[in-house]
Amino acid sequence: MTASADRENSGGPGAGQNDTAPEGRSDRRAERVVAGAFVASIAGAITLAAVYIAGGQPQLEGVALALALGGLGVAVVAWAKSFMPDDEVTETRPQLPSSDEEVRAFTESFEAGGQTLARRGLLAKLGLGALGALGLAAVFPIRSLGPNPGEGLKRTPFAPGVRLVDAEGAPIRPRELPPASLVTAWPEGHAGDAQSPTLILQIDLDDFVPLPGREGWLVGNIVAYSKLCTHTGCPVGLYQTELDLLLCPCHQSTFDVLHGAEPVFGPAARPLPQLPLAVDDEGFLIATGDFSAPVGGGFWDRGRS
Amino acid sequence: MTDPYRQRLRRRLLWLLPMALAVAGGAAAWTGVPAIAAEEAPDPLGYVIDPEALDDAATIADGRELYLTGCVSCHGVEGVGAAGGPPIADAGAASAHFYLTTGRMPHAGGPEVQAVRKDPAYSPEEIEALVAYVASLGEGPEIPHVDLSEGTVQEGGELFRGVCAACHSASGAGGALSFGQNAPSLDQATPVQVYEAMLIGPGQMPVFGPPSYDEEELNSIVAYVETLQELEDPGGFSLGRVGPMPEGFVAVIIGTGAAVLAAFLIGGRVHEEHDVDQDVVSSSPEMGQ
Amino acid sequence: MSADQAIAKATPLSRRTARWLDDRLGAASFARKALDKVFPDHWSFLLGELALWSFVVLIATGVWLTFFFDASIEEIVYEGSYVPLRGIEMSRAYASALDISFDVRAGLVMRQVHHWAANVYLATTVVHLMRIFFTGAFRRPRELNWLLGVGMLIFSIVNGFVGYSLLDDQLSGTGLRIAYNIAISIPLAGTWLASLFFGGEFPGPDLLERLYVMHILLLPAVIVALLGAHLALVARQRHTQFRGPGRTEANVIGERVWPTFAAKGLGAFLLTSAVLCALGGLAQINPIWLYGPYRPAEVSAASQPDWYMGWLDGALRLWHDWEFRAFGFEIPTPFFPSVLLPGITFTLLALWPFLETRFTGDRGEHHLLDRPRDRPLRTAFGISTLAFYTVLFFAGASDVLAVTFQTSVNALFRTFQLMLLVLPPVAGFITFRLCKELARRDRPGASDQAPAVAAPAPGEGAERRQEIEPEDEPERDPASAAGVPRR
Repeated sequence: MTASADRENSGGPGAGQNDTAPEGRSDRRAERVVAGAFVASIAGAITLAAVYIAGGQPQLEGVALALALGGLGVAVVAWAKSFMPDDEVTETRPQLPSSDEEVRAFTESFEAGGQTLARRGLLAKLGLGALGALGLAAVFPIRSLGPNPGEGLKRTPFAPGVRLVDAEGAPIRPRELPPASLVTAWPEGHAGDAQSPTLILQIDLDDFVPLPGREGWLVGNIVAYSKLCTHTGCPVGLYQTELDLLLCPCHQSTFDVLHGAEPVFGPAARPLPQLPLAVDDEGFLIATGDFSAPVGGGFWDRGRS
Repeated sequence: MTDPYRQRLRRRLLWLLPMALAVAGGAAAWTGVPAIAAEEAPDPLGYVIDPEALDDAATIADGRELYLTGCVSCHGVEGVGAAGGPPIADAGAASAHFYLTTGRMPHAGGPEVQAVRKDPAYSPEEIEALVAYVASLGEGPEIPHVDLSEGTVQEGGELFRGVCAACHSASGAGGALSFGQNAPSLDQATPVQVYEAMLIGPGQMPVFGPPSYDEEELNSIVAYVETLQELEDPGGFSLGRVGPMPEGFVAVIIGTGAAVLAAFLIGGRVHEEHDVDQDVVSSSPEMGQ
Repeated sequence: MSADQAIAKATPLSRRTARWLDDRLGAASFARKALDKVFPDHWSFLLGELALWSFVVLIATGVWLTFFFDASIEEIVYEGSYVPLRGIEMSRAYASALDISFDVRAGLVMRQVHHWAANVYLATTVVHLMRIFFTGAFRRPRELNWLLGVGMLIFSIVNGFVGYSLLDDQLSGTGLRIAYNIAISIPLAGTWLASLFFGGEFPGPDLLERLYVMHILLLPAVIVALLGAHLALVARQRHTQFRGPGRTEANVIGERVWPTFAAKGLGAFLLTSAVLCALGGLAQINPIWLYGPYRPAEVSAASQPDWYMGWLDGALRLWHDWEFRAFGFEIPTPFFPSVLLPGITFTLLALWPFLETRFTGDRGEHHLLDRPRDRPLRTAFGISTLAFYTVLFFAGASDVLAVTFQTSVNALFRTFQLMLLVLPPVAGFITFRLCKELARRDRPGASDQAPAVAAPAPGEGAERRQEIEPEDEPERDPASAAGVPRR
C-alpha cells in the first residue's frame, strides 16, 4: 500500500529492519501482539485437548479450536505485516502469446507427424470408427442404472375394491372419523409408500361442489385426495379447516377442498387428483378405482395413459 | 538477545502459559458439569383452574355474570352465536379452558382475524367460572386428564412429525398458512393446552382426537411437545429452529463477513495515484539483496 | 527472527533433504521462481483464497466424517443416546448421522463446521465471482479461468445439495423429492433421467449410495481438478492489479510470495478456519434430530434448501402456474423456473466474457483492473442481476418471512413477483447514474495527472476513462513490457 520510497525517506519501521533486533516502540508492540497471539493459540489447543479428554462439549470445542487457529492466524499475519519485507517488487509480465517462430516450429512438428497419419488415411479412418463404436457401446451400461420409466408414474396401487389403510396398515371405518379431521391413508399393503399417500378429509356437504362425473366419489362427507402436490410432489399436509384449504409448505400452492382441490394460489397448475371412495361389506373404506389423474408433479407424457 | 526488554517479554510469556493451562482446566471441568435440573412448578401441566369444580352452581352463576358482560356480544345469549362470533353452546369446557387460558379470548377483530396467544384477560377464578358456565350450556369435550406417563416421547415424536409438523414445523416453531393465518409456535403451550387443541381443533386446526388418536397417543404427542420445549440445543445458538433460512443469513453475513473482514485486514487497500516517485526494482526480481 | 535467518540457520538435515530431492527433480530453479513470484497486494485479491481455504476445511472435516457416516437406507432401530428417537426405525444413514452428532466425541462440532464451511465456501465463491466481474478481471487473457471458475461454482452448488441430502432426515428427503420432480419435468428425457439417476421411482433403492459416491469422490475430484487448473492459470498469467503508480499492463507490482505473501495466505487460511470453527461450535446448523427420519408422506413447515439453492426455490415459488399442454404432452411448471432458469443463468454467466467482447469490440489484453465506476454499463448490469437473484433468494423463504414479519404469505408472493420485475431495472438504473456521477467527480482531479485522451505513458491510463469503446491495443510496446517507470 505504501511505496518503498516512502519508507526510505521517512526512515520509519518496516522494510529493511527485519534482520536486526527491534528497537522502536511500535516494533515492540507488534512483537507483543505476535507473542500474545501465539500464547492464546497454545491456550486454545490445550483447552481443546482438555475438553476432549473431559468428555467433549461442542461449544467449548468450537471456541477452543477457533482460538487455537485464530491465535495462530493473528500471529502469522501480525508477523508478516510487521517484520516481513513489504517493499513492492516489480515483475515483468510474461508475453502469453507465443512468438511467430515458436508457432511455426510447432506447426511444422505437428504437421510432420500428421502426414504419417494422412498417408494411411484408410487406417486412420478405421481407427476413428473403432473408437466411435467403442464409445457408443460404452453408453449402454448407463442403462443399468435404472429401469425403464414405466407405468409407475401414472398409476398407484389403488384399484376397485382396494382398502384404504392408515400408517400402521389398519383399515379405516368411515364412521370412526371425527369431523374436521385429517387422516393420511394408503392402499392396503402399501402403508407408508411414497407414491400413494392419500388425504381423507371430512367436509361440509352443504358447501361442497363435486366436479362433474364425480358425484358418487364421496362416502358420507368423506372426500379423498392425493397428498402429493401437483407442483413438485411435496406432501400437502396443511389443512386449514375454516377456509377449507390445503396448503403445500414447500412452495405455498393452495388447493380448495370444496371444489375438487383446484389450485387457488401458488405455482401448482393442476388440482390434487381425487380418489373415488366406497365402503365394502365389512364397513371399511375402499377405492372404486385409481386417482382421477397421475399423482405428484407433472412430466411430459403424463396425459397419455 | 540479552536485552532487558526481551527478558521482560519472556518473563511475561512464562506467566501467560500457566494462565492458559488454568483456562483449559476450567473449561475441562465445566465440560463435566451436568445441567441444573429445573424446579418443579406447582402446576406443571398448566391447568390454572380446578377441573373438578365445574359443576358447582354458584361458580356457574358467577360465570354467567362474566359471560353477560364480556362474551355475549359476539357469542350470543347462552352461546347460540351472533354476528360477531360463532356459537359456543357445544364448545365444551376444553374449548373454553383453551381459549381463556391462552388469552385468545376475549378477542377483538371478529372471526376473520386469527386470535393470538396473549396473557389471559381473566383471573384463574374468573376463568374457572366462565369455563363452568360454558360447559353447562351444552355437550362438548371436557377438560382432558393429561398424564404424560401414559405416553412415550418417542411415539409422540413419530406422531408429531407425521401430523403436527406440517403446520407447526418439526421443531414446534410454527409456520405460515394461507391468507395471513399462521400455525403458532408451541413454545408457550402447556400440556393441557396442547391436549385441548388436539381435541377441539381451534381456528384453522383440524381435530386430532379420539377415535383417530387414543389417549395414549395424545399424551405421547403432549410429552413430545414438552420435550421440544425443554430440549437444549447441543449445537449452540438455535437460530430460532426455523430451518436453513437463518443459517443462510448467518453464513452469508456473519461467517462470510468475518472472513472478508479478515481478508480486508490482511491485504492492502486501494493503490491511490498519489504522486510518488518510485524506484522500480529491477525487472527480474532478486531475493535477499 | 526473519525468514532469511531461518533459512541461514536451517539444519543440515533439511538441507540434505532438499539436495536429495533436487538431485532427483532438478526443481531448485523452478522452486525459486515460485518463491519470487510477485503477487499484488489488495485485500479483494484474497477473496478467492477465502473460498479456497473454506474448501480445504471442507475436505479436512469431510474426510473425518466419512469414517463415521454410513450411507445406507437399510432400516435399523436407533439405540443411541438421543432419547426422543430411541427405539425408532430409521435408515443407517440417518442413525449414523445422529451418532456423529451425539455419540462420537467432537462429532457434532465437526459436522457443524463441515456444514458451515459449505455455506461459507459458496458465499465466498460468489463474493470472489463478484470481484472478478465488477473489476473486469475476466477479460482476455483470463476467459478460460472464468470458465473454470463458473464450472467450479456449478459443481460446488450441486455437491452442497448432494451433501445435505445424504443424511436421510425429513428435510433432505423433502429436498430430494423436489429434485426428483424437477428432473421428471424435463421434456422427453426427464422421466428417463430421473429413473437412471434415482435407480427407479422416487425414492429409489440405491439413491443414497449414489449420492454418497458423488459427494465424496466424483464431485470433489472434479472440483479439485478445476481448482488446480484455476490456480495454475493464475500462476501462469500472473495476477491482475489495480491501477497505481508504476503499474502497467506489462508488469505486476506487489509482494514476493516468499515470505510475505505466503505468510498472509497462511494467515488467511488460519483465520478462515477459525471463523468456521467458531460458527461450528457456537451456532447450531441443520439439527437433524429435530427433523426426524425421512417418511415420504410427511413434511414439515419451513422446508427450505440451503442458501445457495434458495434462489431456485424462490423461482419455483414465484413462477406462475403456467404450463403448456398439447396432444396429451406437456411441459410442467417446474421446468421453467428450475431447469430453464438455471440453464440460462449459468450459460450467460459462462459466456459473459465473450458477450462483453462482442458488445464492446474490445479484444485487447487486460491486466489492469477496472474500477466498477469506470464501466457503468457492466456495473449496472451486474447489480441489476444481483437484485434479481436476491429477490428470488428472499422469495425462497417467503413462509418464514411471513411468520417473522406477521404478514400474509400470499401478499408476500405478490410483492416478490412485483419486485422481481421492478427492482432489477431500478437498481441497474441507479447504479448506472451513480457510476457516472462518481466518474465525473474523479475527472477534474485526475485531469492534471493523466490527461484522459492525450497519450500518457505507454500501457498506462489510456483506457482508464474511456467508456466501453473499442481499444486499439493489443500489440504491446516492448519498452513498456520491460516495466519502465512512469516518470
